[in-house]
Amino acid sequence: MKYFDEMCRAMEFLAHDPRTIFLGQAVACPGTIMSNTLKNVSRGKLLELPVTEEMQMGMSTGLALAGHAPVCIYPRWNFLLLAVNQIVNHLDKLPIVSNGGYQPKVIIRTGIGSERPLHPQHQHVGDFTEAFRLMCKTIEIIRLDEAEQIFPAYKKALEREDGRSTIVVEHGDYYNEK
Amino acid sequence: MTKTEERKAAVLPGSSGQDVQPPCAPVLTAEELISFETEIAEAFNAGKIRAPIHLYYGNEAQMIEIFRDIKPDDWVFCSWRSHYQCLLKGVPREEVKAEILAGRSISLCFPKYRIVSSAIVTGVLPIAVGVALSLKRRGETARVHCFAGEMTAETGTFHECLKYSTNHQLPIRFIIEDNGKSVCTDTREAWNQPALTYENSRHPLVAYYKYQSKYPHAGAGQRVQF
Repeated sequence: MKYFDEMCRAMEFLAHDPRTIFLGQAVACPGTIMSNTLKNVSRGKLLELPVTEEMQMGMSTGLALAGHAPVCIYPRWNFLLLAVNQIVNHLDKLPIVSNGGYQPKVIIRTGIGSERPLHPQHQHVGDFTEAFRLMCKTIEIIRLDEAEQIFPAYKKALEREDGRSTIVVEHGDYYNEK
Repeated sequence: MTKTEERKAAVLPGSSGQDVQPPCAPVLTAEELISFETEIAEAFNAGKIRAPIHLYYGNEAQMIEIFRDIKPDDWVFCSWRSHYQCLLKGVPREEVKAEILAGRSISLCFPKYRIVSSAIVTGVLPIAVGVALSLKRRGETARVHCFAGEMTAETGTFHECLKYSTNHQLPIRFIIEDNGKSVCTDTREAWNQPALTYENSRHPLVAYYKYQSKYPHAGAGQRVQF
């Protein structure tokens, strides 16, 4: 299967779990390349949020603390930067500061902006995968370079029982090229 | 002051005003709360705690009143200053003390008692909103109580969280604790604003009280050589 099709299959798999809820901007409406991957997810599982990246991330952590399995969507790394405090200081550190008592499990979807056929310029194509690996002690960051990596990555993110959250990094250009 | 008098000493908005269920723990007296902080201050000054502590003082009556409206299943979110919340939510005194002596005063978390704290300004606010959203979606009766200092309450994150919670009718209230300072910065002077945004408001999701502490932002007012 192709990159986009695998992405859709992975989202349908996640949606099948009663704990999941998908939140972000252009989640319940069109707007980004990721929106199309949610076309087969029921409307009740999609929570369209205002543009509040920091609040969105914190809300995802809170939803996870209360038993949900949130899928927190930022279409580009550059947008996710606005939520760094909640990712690095809170989601990543809560298991540590609580002695393992709190283990919120959030699935974060983000992406490296596509450069072809249009280059959106330098505030939209950042790849901060390695930087986040350096900043995070408990969150695992998985980069999806091939279509066959997609489903196993999201399956692992949902089913893992080690108390860790996952940042899954997609590549915008591969939606059309792989 | 008797327990009843302490409860009546502070009238706070943002409270349901209902006494249907008992509070989450036997109500502690102001003297018991002060005594706990004094004990921690002495331990800190004696060099027994090798991490920051942030002590409360002067807000005991208000805190006791606030916790009259907090039930065992409710969630409580705090900042770096949270000893009173932990005690009043029902965490045993020695358990709180052990965590403080272990150096974790700044971010006390007690999952069994649904207490979450963060040492970062505004850190718990959106997390509290997420828990409140979950409670509403699941139809649970528990509520969320989120404490914030007056400087935190002036931030954009606070504004967003309060707006979202209000517009989506989430089961949450924000308790703003105004000691006039953020570390050593005078909040009103820094914002050039004599009256802060929520201090005279009657917002249904906001409780607001002022207090004056005898303790500094961190530590117990004495230089400690380790």
